Amino acid sequence: MPRFLKAHRGGIVLAALLIGQLTVLSIQVPLGDEPSYFEKAVFFVLAPLEHAFHGLFEAAGRLWSRYVYLRTVEGQNQQMRDELFHLRQENLLLRNEIGRLKDVRELEGFLAGVHSSFVVASVIGVDAANVYRSIVIDRGSRDGLKANMAVIDRAGNLIGRIVNPVAAREATIQLITDDNCAVNVRSSESRVLGQLTGDAKNGRCLLRYILATEERLAEGEELITTGYDRIFPPGLKAGRVTSIAKDNSLFRKIEVKPYLDFRDLGRVAVLTAPTGGRP
Amino acid sequence: MKPSWLRDVLHGGLTLLAAFVVHAALRWITVPFLIALDVYAVAVILFALVKGEIAGAVMGTACGLVIDSFSLGVFGLAGMAGTVTGYLTGTISRKINVLSPGRMLVFSGLMGLLDFSLWALLTSVFFGRGFPWGGGMALLRPVATALSVTLLYAGYRKIKARRDG
Repeated sequence: MPRFLKAHRGGIVLAALLIGQLTVLSIQVPLGDEPSYFEKAVFFVLAPLEHAFHGLFEAAGRLWSRYVYLRTVEGQNQQMRDELFHLRQENLLLRNEIGRLKDVRELEGFLAGVHSSFVVASVIGVDAANVYRSIVIDRGSRDGLKANMAVIDRAGNLIGRIVNPVAAREATIQLITDDNCAVNVRSSESRVLGQLTGDAKNGRCLLRYILATEERLAEGEELITTGYDRIFPPGLKAGRVTSIAKDNSLFRKIEVKPYLDFRDLGRVAVLTAPTGGRP
Repeated sequence: MKPSWLRDVLHGGLTLLAAFVVHAALRWITVPFLIALDVYAVAVILFALVKGEIAGAVMGTACGLVIDSFSLGVFGLAGMAGTVTGYLTGTISRKINVLSPGRMLVFSGLMGLLDFSLWALLTSVFFGRGFPWGGGMALLRPVATALSVTLLYAGYRKIKARRDG
């Protein structure tokens, strides 16, 4: 028997490993989308490591951009000064407008609420199997993050929502380009309602359940969340319709280019206040 | 003197850590690189070439666990593809001569293609999900894997030859 084991050691190890993985796969079937304890454990162990490496790369990048590569700094400074001036003016105007509608105490409460309603986070990892499916951020349950909180980019465009597992200092975001993500949206001009789902295979989104008889929707229209799904708050921009095709089915095939841009996805904001509902 | 299995485990851990760091660094530089270059496949093939089929299969499983834990995909799929790739790379490389750079390029390219195809097959056939082509960038994966493995293996052999005198 030991001789047999020695002769077929490789095959036995391969079979054991494959059986082990099939067992892990079968354990997940009754769990559905909920990650297994094993998956959570691996994530909880590795996420801090990824966090640490991200910090290391960030420090190296900062060293380079702060002390070595200063060629574009002056231009950027001027641009930011101009932008700040405009934003201050806009802020002043908005405060005046809101002040006209509400009394001071109500206004202060409202502004304090706005400040505490989101958590800014850095992206520390992307989905190792498909970059269009999920990302990992450096904020977690310690910062009050929970599953199903909506996430936006620095321009305020919708990028996804928090999903389990949420570690103490790290959390996973399901991107709107993931096949299993669905967002209730309305087109900006024709106000056609539909469901935006991901197409991770191609890194884009699809607008579903628009009847073939619907003629109002046009290419180039912007899609905005409605809040009807009670996950994503209303009014967030999600993407733009790029093509509308007809086939033999009941519904149209509508492709959407999401605003989510990986080149500008260093920092994101998680909306922590309860959202959703009717706009 | 450490037992050989302990040394293998240590080397395996370091290889996995290196793959993890390179993956994190690539994300930091530019995300499309991650579609074109599968650093975990490079780690599995390289480790199997150096240490043999059993170590390759174990490395495939470990890399798969890491990939799946940072993915919303089905846990265990990447591991299965990696395990088979690691095992076959180790087994075949012991039976045919793949030491010359040209042969190594072809062989590691084929192994990269096998890993890529297995994973795509498992994902699409068993779970009905499409493969992320990333606008065709994914087609570069076997080529990028082949080039990386060939270069790293050549470097490893050079260092080993110098160390062995």
